Amino acid sequence: MYISHNSITNIRKNILTIFFVLVFLVLIGRLYYLQIIKGPSYKGIAEANRVRVIPIEAPRGIIYDRNGKIIVDNKSQYDINVIPYEFSHTARTDSILAKILGLDVAEINSRIKNNWRGQFVPIKIAEDVNVEIITNIEEHRLDLPGVVYSVKPVRSYPSGVQMSQSLGYVREISANDLIREKYKEYKQGDLIGWKGIERQYEHILKGTRGYNFIQVDALGREIGQVVDRDNIPPIPGNEMFLAIDLDLQIYIESLTEGYKAGIVVLDADNGEILAIVSKPDYDPALFAGVISNSSWNALISDPDLPMFNRATQGTYSPGSTFKLIAVLTALETKAVDPDWSVRCYGQYRLGHRIFKCWQERGHGSMNMYEAIVHSCNVYFYNLIRRLDLNDWANMGKDFKFGSETGVDLYGESAGVMPDVDFLNRKYGEHGWTDGNKLNLVIGQGDILVTPVQMARFCAALATRGKLVQPHVGLKYIDRGSNETIIFKAAKDSIQNISVDTWEFIEKAMADVINRGTGRAARVKDVPVLGKTGTAQNPHGDAHAWFIGYMEEQNQTIATAVLVEHGKSGGGIAAQIAGQIFNFIHQQKKRQSLANNAPLNF
Amino acid sequence: MRRSISKRINNFLNSFSNLNLAILVIVGLLCLFGMLSIYSASLNMEGSFFEKIIGRQLIWLVLSGLVAATIYFLQKKLIYDSAYILYLLGFCLLLLPYFLGSSVAGTARWITFGSAGFQPSEFMKILVMLAIARFLASTSSSNLDFKFVLIPTLLSLIPMAVVLKQPDLGTSIIYFGMLFPMLYWAGARLFHLFIIIAPILSIITAFNFYTFFIWVIIVVIILYLTKEKLRVSLTVMLINLSLGFTTPFLWNSLKPYQQQRILTLFNVNADPQGTGYQVLQSKIAIGSGGLFGKGIARGTQTHLKFLPEQHTDFIFSVIGEEYGFIGVLVVLLLFLAFILICINIAYRQKDRFCSLCMIGIASIIGIHVVINVAMTVGLMPVTGLPLPFISYGGSFLMTCFILVGLALNIGIDKQY
Repeated sequence: MYISHNSITNIRKNILTIFFVLVFLVLIGRLYYLQIIKGPSYKGIAEANRVRVIPIEAPRGIIYDRNGKIIVDNKSQYDINVIPYEFSHTARTDSILAKILGLDVAEINSRIKNNWRGQFVPIKIAEDVNVEIITNIEEHRLDLPGVVYSVKPVRSYPSGVQMSQSLGYVREISANDLIREKYKEYKQGDLIGWKGIERQYEHILKGTRGYNFIQVDALGREIGQVVDRDNIPPIPGNEMFLAIDLDLQIYIESLTEGYKAGIVVLDADNGEILAIVSKPDYDPALFAGVISNSSWNALISDPDLPMFNRATQGTYSPGSTFKLIAVLTALETKAVDPDWSVRCYGQYRLGHRIFKCWQERGHGSMNMYEAIVHSCNVYFYNLIRRLDLNDWANMGKDFKFGSETGVDLYGESAGVMPDVDFLNRKYGEHGWTDGNKLNLVIGQGDILVTPVQMARFCAALATRGKLVQPHVGLKYIDRGSNETIIFKAAKDSIQNISVDTWEFIEKAMADVINRGTGRAARVKDVPVLGKTGTAQNPHGDAHAWFIGYMEEQNQTIATAVLVEHGKSGGGIAAQIAGQIFNFIHQQKKRQSLANNAPLNF
Repeated sequence: MRRSISKRINNFLNSFSNLNLAILVIVGLLCLFGMLSIYSASLNMEGSFFEKIIGRQLIWLVLSGLVAATIYFLQKKLIYDSAYILYLLGFCLLLLPYFLGSSVAGTARWITFGSAGFQPSEFMKILVMLAIARFLASTSSSNLDFKFVLIPTLLSLIPMAVVLKQPDLGTSIIYFGMLFPMLYWAGARLFHLFIIIAPILSIITAFNFYTFFIWVIIVVIILYLTKEKLRVSLTVMLINLSLGFTTPFLWNSLKPYQQQRILTLFNVNADPQGTGYQVLQSKIAIGSGGLFGKGIARGTQTHLKFLPEQHTDFIFSVIGEEYGFIGVLVVLLLFLAFILICINIAYRQKDRFCSLCMIGIASIIGIHVVINVAMTVGLMPVTGLPLPFISYGGSFLMTCFILVGLALNIGIDKQY
């Protein structure tokens, strides 16, 4: 029995069938589009969804001195983090945590709130905490669930050396550097060397960051390692050796404590800088982690400019040390004979102006040799009037005054080496007189030099014309190939100065120490050669200069000492130089004793 | 006695047509896909086997199978006779949650017995289908008058209104959606179907001037082409125009919380992590499956919980991720085969009621599949409809199996 008869037409059946087939085809088409056409791109998105990449900072390369003593090392900095999901926010835990960290509960809460990035993402609540806090946290492990610490490498200076401005520091990369082609692989927040060695050798010292791949779920909860991808371990930066002699460096730093000074000690034959000091300086460890705002502000607002590298960036009048240029010019151009004499009454009259000698009662009759030994100004006032100023300026330029030495410390100053053109430009063609020349010849007026330039000048005198490129960086060990790569320093020399002239100058410089203005630099048993300088300046006491060198065990060591407001070069500057030479001498004596010791026993 | 038993068994096996066998195989395969996907989606859940959704689903599967078997052995006459009564009973159950006040996540869909709960609106899908089929069975297909179209429309609209109030847009779409294939099968004129659906489109399009403008033009063209009596055409036009013009004003006169209530219908706010998060993650899961998929229980999107509702409404994206295009193609073709077999059975059926039931079954399953898949691949807004035989959910699985039981029952062309 049927209720009623079914009388459906074939057309209606087919239309309904076709309708369902069409709708399903649309769905299949869409799936084809999603899975086959767009499949690869969705695969990528799914991959990015599930993998959290955790960067592991690499330690920067360790910096050694020339003897393998550690100058800059790395230590671990501990940060305290909180994982919100596991952290129980009770009054008890809050107060325990606050007590351990020495922070307010409110401060901790606001740090958690401000840095919130999800239930399972650690929030940094304290940075660079000491080991005691870590131990304390570990002891309260059960009371403080979800409080963890993380470690990252930061710079440390175990020897206590300062060398602050020359070593430089590491900081987050600046917006300006970020857009530079040179730093294109850097990202915002990356650390980079900002000054000195850290900046100059950034590409060598920089480590390669490693990555851990953590599988996360949709909530950001860490599930474990990503199975099909290995972690990339961080690669520390290359180990680097400086030409610095750490003991000497520390000794000079202690010697000049309290002064404002710039000192460069270098090996005259190859330009290796054994010590470079700029005082006042600061504790480089201030920058080890993240420098606090107060420390930073104190540093940059200090009127004594502790961040300013006086040895390479400070420009000063060279004072009497520069008289040697006039001597070289006179002898080489044969403008005067070495025996040409001048009588010094303590002053020199040019028109209505009076130019004084430092010795007010006068030096009496002076030839060139004595004028160097006693640093007589009047002699040189007379001498410069017989010289062509451009000859003098060219001699200065031959020693590369007025241009950078190429020292491997970022931000070097070039100084100023005036010539006729320069004076014409500055004062107008008739705006300057012989008075300017008188000032220039005794290293005053427009001429400006840096201590590192003076050190190189001194090295050139010591080696009869070798012009070395002063450098701090010596070599590094390439981590990939394990090869030692030695930095090349440019070399140049002045050829056209006669042996007679050199000998004359050397004798005079030796007598400066033996019986002249530089007696304070004398060292027992070792001959020291040098020249003092006292640079007048409008801001107070004169700056004291001393350049000098000594030769011992086939090594010629040249130094330039500048002490701001040190009154006279023969005083404090020569004293410091003497102590430096003495230290080196003692060092070498100990060394040779140690070397010979087995034979004696 | 013994002979009669063996004869009966023989009869029973013979009565099992090839098409019925095909339906059983299809449903079996789909359930297998479902269990594998639910297993995958529940891997990270804690608890013993039967505390996990996979265990519970298995229990439901067994129960549903038993119920389907029972339905299979029911007399067709009994089904036919009780269609209206069941419809009324179902309607009362639909209203019951409002009085019991039991609700999950603020929606009044569930009736709970102790710890177990079931959704009357799920079973109501079957009862609406049966009631419509019974009513249409009493009509003649040669000339279905508009008044015969109107009554089945009311049969579906009344429970639809109740379910909309819950609010459950997905289920109400099912009630309304199955009406059209069934009316069409019963011989209704396309123009009549148009008259039913036109007001809804008028309201939806009214929110934008241009869409409404285009819609009005379409209405005019249809009215012109069908060459209805001027009186009828004018009435249809007038109703639609007035609906279109008043809707924006009515909407604006609603208080914000009332607007919100209507918007939640379309699940605009059912998005946990911002607009389109679910659909985006679902698309990523499906897309990343590629041609062959990532393998059973190896879908990263699924495992790491990037996919919300992965075991219920978005289970299709688990299949897409783990079995790839091949997998989803197989699943979709199985569903299509199921629907086409139902239509085929309906065509062959000599009885009008049974024939209409088959169309109803095909429509319910078909609309579920189309809307669910379209939603997971981002072709339709998220409405919250599960995927038959595959999604986790007891009431729904039971509903699907009752439909299968009915289909098998009706598929055998036996007398009442």
